[in-house]
Amino acid sequence: MEIIVCIKRVPKTAEADLVIDKTERDIEKEGLVFDINEWDNYAVEEAILLKEKYGGTVTAISMGPEEVNETLRRALAMGADQAIRLTDPGFEGSDGYAIARVLSRAINPLAYDLVLTGVQAEDDGYGQVGPTLAELLGIRHVAIVNQIEGIENGRARVHRELEGGLDEVIDLELPAVLTIQTGINEPRYVSIIGIRKVAQKEIKVLGLQDLGMKLEEAGEPGSMTVVEKVFFPPVGEGAQMLEGTMDEISDKVIAILKEKGGVA
Amino acid sequence: MEAQKNELLQKFELYGCFQCGKCTGGCPVSLKSKLNIRKLMIEVLLRENLSNMIQRDELWDCTTCKTCTLRCPRGLEPMDLLIGMRALSVEEGHIPKTIIEALEGAYKYGNPWNAAKNKRSDWANELELKVFPQGGKAANLYFVCCTAAYDTRVQNVGRSLVQCFRQIGYDFATLGNDETCCGSEIRRMGEEGLFEMLMEGNIESINKYDIRSIVTTSPHCYNTIKNDYAQDGLEVRHYTQILAEAIEGKNPFSGEMRKVITYHDPCFLGKQNGIFDEPRQILQSIPGVTFIDFDRSRENSLCCEGGGGRMWVESSDQGPRLAEIRVQDAVDMGAEILATACPFCLLTLEDAVKTTGNEEKLRVMDISEILVEVL
Repeated sequence: MEIIVCIKRVPKTAEADLVIDKTERDIEKEGLVFDINEWDNYAVEEAILLKEKYGGTVTAISMGPEEVNETLRRALAMGADQAIRLTDPGFEGSDGYAIARVLSRAINPLAYDLVLTGVQAEDDGYGQVGPTLAELLGIRHVAIVNQIEGIENGRARVHRELEGGLDEVIDLELPAVLTIQTGINEPRYVSIIGIRKVAQKEIKVLGLQDLGMKLEEAGEPGSMTVVEKVFFPPVGEGAQMLEGTMDEISDKVIAILKEKGGVA
Repeated sequence: MEAQKNELLQKFELYGCFQCGKCTGGCPVSLKSKLNIRKLMIEVLLRENLSNMIQRDELWDCTTCKTCTLRCPRGLEPMDLLIGMRALSVEEGHIPKTIIEALEGAYKYGNPWNAAKNKRSDWANELELKVFPQGGKAANLYFVCCTAAYDTRVQNVGRSLVQCFRQIGYDFATLGNDETCCGSEIRRMGEEGLFEMLMEGNIESINKYDIRSIVTTSPHCYNTIKNDYAQDGLEVRHYTQILAEAIEGKNPFSGEMRKVITYHDPCFLGKQNGIFDEPRQILQSIPGVTFIDFDRSRENSLCCEGGGGRMWVESSDQGPRLAEIRVQDAVDMGAEILATACPFCLLTLEDAVKTTGNEEKLRVMDISEILVEVL
């Protein structure tokens, strides 16, 4: 079983105070902490679990500057066998479609049975790369997979969660792209010693030319969408900011909940 | 796994164990957990394969209070063997999710609470503290601790301590947002590589500002900076030592408090570092206070179960929390205030006051908070 897993390095924004940068098309990334996209972490773990069950190799692929090596090393430490980093000034500004095209060019010459991606990325949240990649590779895909039941005779049986908690079970022929949902497994911890052990492992670097791509096929020229502006949602009515110590705020919250009928 | 087994055999001199059982006899969790430290010593010796052993949930029940090691008549280190077992588990990666979150938080944000790095000093926003990285100059570094910096309950301990230090004229500055986790709990969760990283970062800061003397809020930071970092020429003290010294002679805390107070010894301060008297001296110096000691106090103190990573993982056993036993004992002997001097003890004991329904009877306070009331 040859598995390719596509991963992305993203800024962690849950606890940070975000600032929109001067271009008004992105956020300030200075001072933010970066790590593997949460969905992709589950995809890497799933790839390793499949390898442990069925044998074969796992190749991790990511796009971006040198810092992305850190994310790829993390995947290697988890158990991936090879890592490829796609980087080129011409890739900058790529939307989901252009990213999928670059990935498809890198993946096309490789031998593979399965391509795993996360359902979506924490930063832009488009959820486009997986299905678009499948189209460009001309293979099947299943999105939002929350269980891979088994793989036999070149076919996989996978589950996806639908609205209302319904489970859809799909039997499909490989190769295929599966976009992996969080919660499908419990990603293992990657220790510092584990990362040190793979520090010397080669990360293959490929650019526009290596992939036989033209400038107009990637980056902004190769994209179908352009971000014109990012902004914070306008402040609406109805929010009440509570002030005071934690105890005082807690008392106020309880009083409000009681008053509005939230608790008895 | 065999190489790792041999390493454990050698490192912890497992052939030296004669199975006397003093370790398990003193272990505060062995009565309720499947964890049996004596059995672990011989199992590692006898078992061919450790892979199943390192998957056991009860490995995470240990609070690293160190009673087993301190009681061993052969001078062996059962607690460190347990941490060594955790380390194998950490390296393999299959560890409790909440432990993973704490470790990743320490790596990414410099604290196991996963809070933003640039909000680390927000607790002191209105206190106008001197900060070394902002050019502040002082004779001593106040090492705040992740829990005192971010936990809304324990932040009050940091603020109280600042008031105490000012009252006694103790000159200090902090590292502000540059302070990172000391790594005490990280090491005890078995993540030695990450501990080293955190230690190197903190030592770099200490050297950068030519710091020779450190005071800590937490006994855990105190223990690890003093004994694990073990830097020559660096004086490390717990705040109770500074305050106990200051009250000798003319006591700057002269207010009165008519209360019955008992004191819970934090394991990392008492058992592990022999600081038993200073906290008691401080409490007994307060006019009006009636001080009573627990039956199990000092070397025999009962662990609160907050150490060794246990703040981030629930124990596998179903027994009563030791902190609840502690609180009930305090109520039964008529204490009105249960004092302690550790952020973890403060949190576990205060939770236990709530879960045992003793909120009306017993208040849990840090010694610094008590002193602020008698300023």
